[in-house]
Amino acid sequence: MEDNPTIPRVQRVIAVLWPSFLVAGAATVMFFTAFDPHDLADLLSRGASSTAIYSIGFFFFWSLTVSACALSCYFQRPCDRARTPAKRA
Amino acid sequence: MSRNPPAAKSVPPPAAEAMYARHRKVYPREVHGLFATLRVLGASLLLGLFYVTAWLPWDGRQAVLFDLPARKFHVFSLTFWPQDFFYFAWLLIIAALLLFYVTALAGRLWCGYACPQTVWTELFLWMEHKIEGPRNQRIKRDNAAMSASKVRLKSLKHGLWLLLSLYTGFTFVGYFTPIRELTGALAQFDLGPWETFWILFYGLATYGNAGWMREQVCIYMCPYARFQSAMFDKDTLVIAYDDQRGEPRGSRRRALDPHEAGLGECIDCNQCVQVCPTGIDIRDGLQYQCIGCAACIDICNRVMDKMRYPRGLIRYTTEHAVAGHAGRILRPRVIVYTLLLLALTTGLIYAIGQRTALDLDILRDRNSLYRETDNGLIENVYTLKIINMEETPHRYRLAVAAGQSGLTSLRLTKGGLTVAVGAGEVRSLPVVVSVDRHELRQSVNRIEFVIYAEDNRSLQRREVARFLGPVPEDGQ
Repeated sequence: MEDNPTIPRVQRVIAVLWPSFLVAGAATVMFFTAFDPHDLADLLSRGASSTAIYSIGFFFFWSLTVSACALSCYFQRPCDRARTPAKRA
Repeated sequence: MSRNPPAAKSVPPPAAEAMYARHRKVYPREVHGLFATLRVLGASLLLGLFYVTAWLPWDGRQAVLFDLPARKFHVFSLTFWPQDFFYFAWLLIIAALLLFYVTALAGRLWCGYACPQTVWTELFLWMEHKIEGPRNQRIKRDNAAMSASKVRLKSLKHGLWLLLSLYTGFTFVGYFTPIRELTGALAQFDLGPWETFWILFYGLATYGNAGWMREQVCIYMCPYARFQSAMFDKDTLVIAYDDQRGEPRGSRRRALDPHEAGLGECIDCNQCVQVCPTGIDIRDGLQYQCIGCAACIDICNRVMDKMRYPRGLIRYTTEHAVAGHAGRILRPRVIVYTLLLLALTTGLIYAIGQRTALDLDILRDRNSLYRETDNGLIENVYTLKIINMEETPHRYRLAVAAGQSGLTSLRLTKGGLTVAVGAGEVRSLPVVVSVDRHELRQSVNRIEFVIYAEDNRSLQRREVARFLGPVPEDGQ
């Protein structure tokens, strides 16, 4: 991905990882308030501990939100800098 | 992207490329004074609370334990269940309002004194100062070539930081897995994989945030820093430099009378910049990077004392006060916040006090809508989930009531009429409810289940359920 010179790289990395982390946390809390991991344990693997299911749930949500944030970040690039046909002489 | 607070003066960047320059490390200088003492007190109190609370016992269990496997949150004498999520959401709303309220009144008190980022950074900086010495030595060492003493001090610092971070991670996980069990497991090298993972995750996050990222967390990661300007008004307490009094700044001998020399009272010693944990110059005006830690006030007051000038060249003040207007504390937004907070807090305390420590979930049998018996009864099968949220066992008595349906022949035919549920337990109970076929006037009837504790009638719960039957034949 090309660097957007107006925004420091660290800020862009954080802009992808951090909001997605927060939202994934909130989503995990809401999801597991409604669903008991014991009810889901059959769906995943038998014998998985609750902590494992909560953790996997969290990382599942985080992977979704990270993708969304990364796409937003990607689409923020100016369009005219995207691939354009080479200028003809 | 970043908006300065409306009150901020526009600060011309020193050079065009300065905005895109690589991040420069900030070396905050150590500072002593009234606000530094308050900050240390606040940080010690909060860190103490975090590290100690996990170890407090209560009634044979950990006092504060977010027991995820059992889906119960214990907070001293209170136990919260997933059904109580509502109170948690309510509490978060109160916390958010409280933050707005404090911000409107006193600016970024939260950032300067209470935010975990500030508190742990403070602790890490203190360790850095103890190991690596004062600011000048740290800068000199960082610029110097690698040497045995540099390697030794740096490894000592990072080693201690990592140790503290891992202990922080351990304490954090100790709020979710009983910390005494966790200690036992750790001592026997028998930690679960996920416990190990979260200790490392939280530990390394602490190390990264407080050791490396520091002010960048406030500048790039904190949403509050970006939108706090919306909560500010001209009567909000901010840290400001009195440029009327300070300018024109310049160095001078102590004996010199600044007014005769045409100077302001700022001696341009730059100490306010050196102590700033976010590396800004407060003399440039209010900036969104300012976390309101008041380190610049402390150091400037010391300089003013040395110069025998009055204190308060940099001070807590309001925009109105600086402009010479009378300040107002009771503004509409403050009154609204106060009333809202009072109402919400009283409501929450009342609601938790009135909470029935008994819950009843009714699940209909999924396999059949209803069944008919030989003696003309229509039966419905339910599974009742009885949740005893109290820390004492109870025997509950169960009954069905006609409710809106008006069915007089409603009976509980199978399933115990009384049921014992242990402290903090959930009991599933299959029950069968029957109605005389001839009494049914419609296919869907609203009936009620009633359950109460035999030893305490006020511990009662009433839940509506659907009773299904055949569509009544014409002419009935």
